[in-house]
Amino acid sequence: METERQSQTEGGVATRLDDVWITIVWNDPVNLMSYVTHVFQTHFGLSREVAATRMREVHEHGRSVLASGPREKMEVDVQAMHSYGLWATLQRSGE
Amino acid sequence: MRGFRAEGGSAVAELDDEERLVVARIIADVALLLGADAFGEDYDAHPAPTSDIDDPFEHLRGFEESIREPSDPAILRLLPNAAPTDREAADEFRRLTDGELRATKVRRLRRMWDQLSGGDGATGGDEWVVPADEALATAAGLTDVRLVLASRLGLTTDDDAERLHHEIDLATHALETDDDGVLPIDHERVWLGMLYQALTWLQETLVEFVATDGEETDV
Repeated sequence: METERQSQTEGGVATRLDDVWITIVWNDPVNLMSYVTHVFQTHFGLSREVAATRMREVHEHGRSVLASGPREKMEVDVQAMHSYGLWATLQRSGE
Repeated sequence: MRGFRAEGGSAVAELDDEERLVVARIIADVALLLGADAFGEDYDAHPAPTSDIDDPFEHLRGFEESIREPSDPAILRLLPNAAPTDREAADEFRRLTDGELRATKVRRLRRMWDQLSGGDGATGGDEWVVPADEALATAAGLTDVRLVLASRLGLTTDDDAERLHHEIDLATHALETDDDGVLPIDHERVWLGMLYQALTWLQETLVEFVATDGEETDV
């Protein structure tokens, strides 16, 4: 029953307001902490302090949510992270 | 090998002939993995042309309905699955970005290879000169090379990386003390591991340059 209702609301409403996606950056053993911090500063426009905090979150907790918004925007962010060699994924918020 | 440091607005490292050859070769290998033409082909005869490689995949990409996930784990690390829990989103992302990402990565590697191989932008001698505005792109290119080496070395966790350092220390010690008959040494693995460590260190010094440079221009 629950699934039926869900599939009805999800059918063909890709632009509804609550369709928020997130960009997650994951830890890996290769990327340097200084490099990840600088990439976060450069791409997400974060201050050095905030960028370093996010970097430590990735390193210590395995992942950090770096952005949220429309799917298209998250695709741009994830593509940028892949271009820098960072391991990033996108998914619907709340999943 | 000497790490990067600021000299006249550029980042300058020093690599001797053999080091340059080794680094240039691994750069070319990674580009090959990404689907580029072999960098070395036209090197001996004349400097490599750069004008026609702006987007080597322009004519090939974009028309494909879907692009399959790379089966080589090293390539998959360069072009990872963007949505492991959502097949549709992952496929869509790959279809939209695969060509552009490959082209960007190959272009960066080509530029680095040229600088190290006496082609366009090379200064000759032992110096590897990276202009300030190319420093971050070069650091990204070094990341791609290190990601491929790490994949070949089986480094998937932080502990794996620690173990590799330990392994190399042991092997180096064994070789220095002529004790290598006692300890079985995988020479190829140690060699790749040492190359990985050297590139890590080189990248560290370059990122330090980038970070410091950024602070100066912010003022």
